Amino acid sequence: MVLINNWPDLRQELLEGLHRLLPAASVISKREALRPYECDGLTAYRQLPGVVCLPYTVEQVQAVLRLCHQLNVPVVPRGAGTGLSGGALPHEQGVLLGLARLDRIIEIDSLNRCAVVQPGVRNLALSEAAKPYGFYYAPDPSSQIACTIGGNVAENSGGVHCLKYGLTVHNVIGLKILTMQGELLEIGGKTLDAPGYDLLAVLCGSEGLLGVVVEVTVRLLPLPERAQVVLAAFDDVALAGEAVGRILSAGIIPAGMEMMDNLAIRATEDFVHAGYPVEAAAILLVELDGENREVSEQIFQVRQLLLTAGATEVHTARDEAERLLFWKGRKAAFPAVGRLAPDYYCMDGTIPRRRLSEVLARIAELSREYDLPVANVFHAGDGNLHPLILYDANQPGELARTEALGGRILQLCIEVGGTITGEHGVGVEKIDQMCVQFHSAELAQFHALRAAFDPSGLLNPGKAVPTLHRCAEFGRMHVHAGQLPHPELERF
Amino acid sequence: MQTRLAPEFQNSAEGREADAILRSCVHCGFCTAVCPTYNLLGDELDSPRGRIYLIKGLLEGAEVGVETQRHLDRCLTCRACETACPSGVQFARLADIGRAEVEKRVPRPLPQRMTRYLLRWVITSTPRFSILLGAGRLLRPLLPQRLQRLVPIAKSAGAWPAPRHARRVLVPAGCVQPALEPGIDSALARLLDRHGISAVHIASGCCGAVSQHLAAPDEALQRMRANIDAWWPHVENGAEAIVETSSACGVMVREYGHLLRRDSDYAEKAARISALCRDPAELLAALPLAPLGKGRRIAFQAPCSLQNGLRLEGRVEGILHGVGFELLPVEEPAMCCGSAGTYSVLQPALSSALLTRKLGNLGKYTPELIATANIGCLAYLQRGSKVPVVHWLELLEAPPR
Amino acid sequence: MADCAIRLQEAVKAAYAAGAPLNIVGGGSKAFCGDARVGERLDVGVHRGIVSYEPSELVLTARAGTPLQEIEDLLASHGQMLGCEPPHFGAAATLGGTVACGFSGPRRPYVGSLRDFVLGARIINGKGEILSFGGQVMKNVAGFDVSRLMVGAQGTLGVLLEVSLKVLPLPAYELTLRYSCEELGAIFRCAEWAGKSLPVSATAWLDGALYVRLSGSQVAVKAAAQSMGGEILLQEEDFWLCLREQTHAFFHLESAQRLWRLSVPPGTPPLDLEGRTCVELGGGQRWLVSNATSDSIHDAALGAGGYATLFRGAGQERNRLSPGVAALQQRIKHALDPAGILNVREQ
Repeated sequence: MVLINNWPDLRQELLEGLHRLLPAASVISKREALRPYECDGLTAYRQLPGVVCLPYTVEQVQAVLRLCHQLNVPVVPRGAGTGLSGGALPHEQGVLLGLARLDRIIEIDSLNRCAVVQPGVRNLALSEAAKPYGFYYAPDPSSQIACTIGGNVAENSGGVHCLKYGLTVHNVIGLKILTMQGELLEIGGKTLDAPGYDLLAVLCGSEGLLGVVVEVTVRLLPLPERAQVVLAAFDDVALAGEAVGRILSAGIIPAGMEMMDNLAIRATEDFVHAGYPVEAAAILLVELDGENREVSEQIFQVRQLLLTAGATEVHTARDEAERLLFWKGRKAAFPAVGRLAPDYYCMDGTIPRRRLSEVLARIAELSREYDLPVANVFHAGDGNLHPLILYDANQPGELARTEALGGRILQLCIEVGGTITGEHGVGVEKIDQMCVQFHSAELAQFHALRAAFDPSGLLNPGKAVPTLHRCAEFGRMHVHAGQLPHPELERF
Repeated sequence: MQTRLAPEFQNSAEGREADAILRSCVHCGFCTAVCPTYNLLGDELDSPRGRIYLIKGLLEGAEVGVETQRHLDRCLTCRACETACPSGVQFARLADIGRAEVEKRVPRPLPQRMTRYLLRWVITSTPRFSILLGAGRLLRPLLPQRLQRLVPIAKSAGAWPAPRHARRVLVPAGCVQPALEPGIDSALARLLDRHGISAVHIASGCCGAVSQHLAAPDEALQRMRANIDAWWPHVENGAEAIVETSSACGVMVREYGHLLRRDSDYAEKAARISALCRDPAELLAALPLAPLGKGRRIAFQAPCSLQNGLRLEGRVEGILHGVGFELLPVEEPAMCCGSAGTYSVLQPALSSALLTRKLGNLGKYTPELIATANIGCLAYLQRGSKVPVVHWLELLEAPPR
Repeated sequence: MADCAIRLQEAVKAAYAAGAPLNIVGGGSKAFCGDARVGERLDVGVHRGIVSYEPSELVLTARAGTPLQEIEDLLASHGQMLGCEPPHFGAAATLGGTVACGFSGPRRPYVGSLRDFVLGARIINGKGEILSFGGQVMKNVAGFDVSRLMVGAQGTLGVLLEVSLKVLPLPAYELTLRYSCEELGAIFRCAEWAGKSLPVSATAWLDGALYVRLSGSQVAVKAAAQSMGGEILLQEEDFWLCLREQTHAFFHLESAQRLWRLSVPPGTPPLDLEGRTCVELGGGQRWLVSNATSDSIHDAALGAGGYATLFRGAGQERNRLSPGVAALQQRIKHALDPAGILNVREQ
């Protein structure tokens, strides 16, 4: 998006329009009050928005979009602002559209095993509301205490339990969206599928570029009869990685399988006091759920597999409270490393599981090379890796070094046959790496698809899919010693 | 987060303390999930994360005005965010520092200044409060219904046992509790007396919390020094604990050591006093208490100060359950009742919304009564509750009413 | 094994330049579904072969022309399967055709649909460009989910060259229970079971009988069977296979009869429509063999909050989409196939 010169005038017109459409408490325009909205969970990227709108109803959201479309003002949607890829980074001359006030759970339908919610409903709040009916909502990103369902749809969020129960896309059966023009479209509902093209699949993970989600219908699953977690300690990360492969090869699909390395263990233990073995090089948390006796059988099998794989200790949670405590630590792992360093930069790459030990070893090397500690948290079951680079933004140059290290790690993920983002989205953070993962025709195809939803390009511009121009710039910036990296990729 | 302190804060102790707290925040947003005002208002500016960011702006030299003041004023200081925060951000300290700085920079309209001054003037002095409350009680029959509810009737204290045991603890009387609910401290005294401990009642005035949270830190320090002066002789005489029956005061007293750390005359004493501060739950948990519960169905409102400030979640419930009360489930147990010290006076709309919600949650399974652990919550819940609201200590000692 | 990607690409490029329609054909097993197509035949069946298979990673990648049977045999030999049990509808069924039509089998509501198992796809779009989307890993949110968009698109958005699928381990033990009951009773029983964590992997009601398949560890399945009651069916494998492949007597159509697929909220009570019904997928999929008018069937489905598709039988049927969604789908089609050459319907 190109910045325009007459923005002050346009902003005035915009504000007048917004004040006619929304209550005063829904329009924020003073600079002092805009500042806390200048970033989401990725604080390294900050941009003061032009205006912030916090509507209460779908009608108000629609009115805002129509006005912005008419005035050619970009709109950036925002949920709880917990995203880690800068997807809710505001546009300097745009509206930051906060959906947190649309926070009603419209219906819990136990006959049809689904729930209808507004986009501002917190992920955990949904499961808590479904619990009295004997159901829960399966995708549980670590930020589930605070993140919203609308945000989950935009990022196709995963979480610990997505290994067995799928990502957001596997659990969403209906969406109501508003296009940038303010058209309300209803796709799917309480049925297993919707007619025509699979728009639900395209919308999940579309990072707020295709439409603003205003209602979500999700599948609910019955609470398992029993859930149990096994904690295993290893004094070698590679052994932990191999143990994961053995469990999967044995035909067991755990409900969740997570790994933390020593730095991560120490940080989380400090917060949650769960009794994690703080001397271990890595721990695995393996959750089994289902029918009572089946779980007992699987726990026995898993314990055996872990021990033969070289675990130094294997501990089954003694009760529900301890099970929840084990997970509480893991889910708080990212912010808990805030105890070790003032800032952290969370990477999010996915790699084939069998390459895990190799990748972790390489990350350790890179960590030494860049002189920055890296804590590793890993969705072991599906190969989604979260290296957390610890740094101090107040030290000159450290952020740049951190980002450079991050770029090298993502490059490594691609090299071993993986992808640059497993669940946090591309946002602004990884937009350059998109130029490496996709070639120009693919990027052009993304843009064409995006234009089918939003011909104006006003919805969350500058995110997720780089322009071809940007890729050319990125390519030029990374010439080393006269040689372009990835010479097989097209240039233009 | 990255911070760039303005020069004036780089060299001040408060500035450096605040900076350290800011640096520990990683902006993850977990706190927004448990913040009552974010829950009600849905605005980042009314969440802990947003307030941290506003304070950060102030300390980095940005211009602050009524916007910042308004959103900081709306903070209950319930500290639910501290409990939820994985990074260990000391939000309440940061808020205190931030509010004090905002108070210096952003003028308030006269009515606001008057209200805040009056609150401090009245509440922090026990005699003043008692006199005013006494006058209110005289006039009570003449007041309209809805104002009558604000003036609770006088209660008797019951006997305070003579000091006969070698083991002594100190029970500061506090600011409003003697006038509103004199029976709480004496119930504790009688309980302890039965178990070999003598409680010494000492008039104390406000613990300092009211001044501290109304951005009058110097006045707070004065109150703290006065209390330390009054309590120290007892500490020297071997008092083994200072027991605060109101959890909010307990939180304040535990901070005396930190807040007076740079005062050469009081630092050591303050630290000792903070170290001696106990909540009754900590003393009574190990004692064999009479099973007076008899299956009575009650709801326990755990004050924010007890859960988040003192980190004693579940203790009181354990004791009550142990003596035979049936504790009914209370949904949203971590959501503030809205009393929050002077908040109910200064932020009536938000406060009453929270009160309604809390009473709804407490009353869901029709308890016979509501028990709590803090005078502020007690007095506030009484305004709207259909069943009696008591301090949990009174349930352990007095015969069933 | 043959990699014919370049050859296929040339054909699409030429068709794009000429604006000439292409009729994409795999094994021809699903020709019955949808309307007749115009244009020159593009035979994808020649582009076949397993590209990679990692049992420990639960991922298989194969070329679109690979016979579905070949894939299933390979997976079975490693104790794995395609989770959603897609129907073949003919021995010549290919992976590409299966994905393009997007049909899933009885296991679908319990493990996921075919689309849920697609991890990535390599396609030729309507301009003759070879594009890859997704990958070989489940957690992948880089870019828009174009690979899953291909599922059920019936070849109108691109020619599938390669698809990567997540696979599942074969269940250790299975058995099928049978109950006599009416349609309403069956729907409620399914709803009741769905609210408990039982190892149900398929349900079907037809001809006054409800069939439930349980899959999992022997211990879990037997415990569940005990608590659920019902008669244990022998040779249940035949039943589910016949149902999936629609060779069961229920699907036999007399001259003027048509087979409809109704997708409705699972708890929907029996619909008042002429003909015979088979209730599947926990209640969410209802097969209807009927002489009733299209309008009455569409209305009934819409009224229940779902939709109807003519599956077999004479008559031109269009998806009855809302105008806004229909227009959007047209634009999406145009974004991937600007000249409109892929799998064009006979007008």
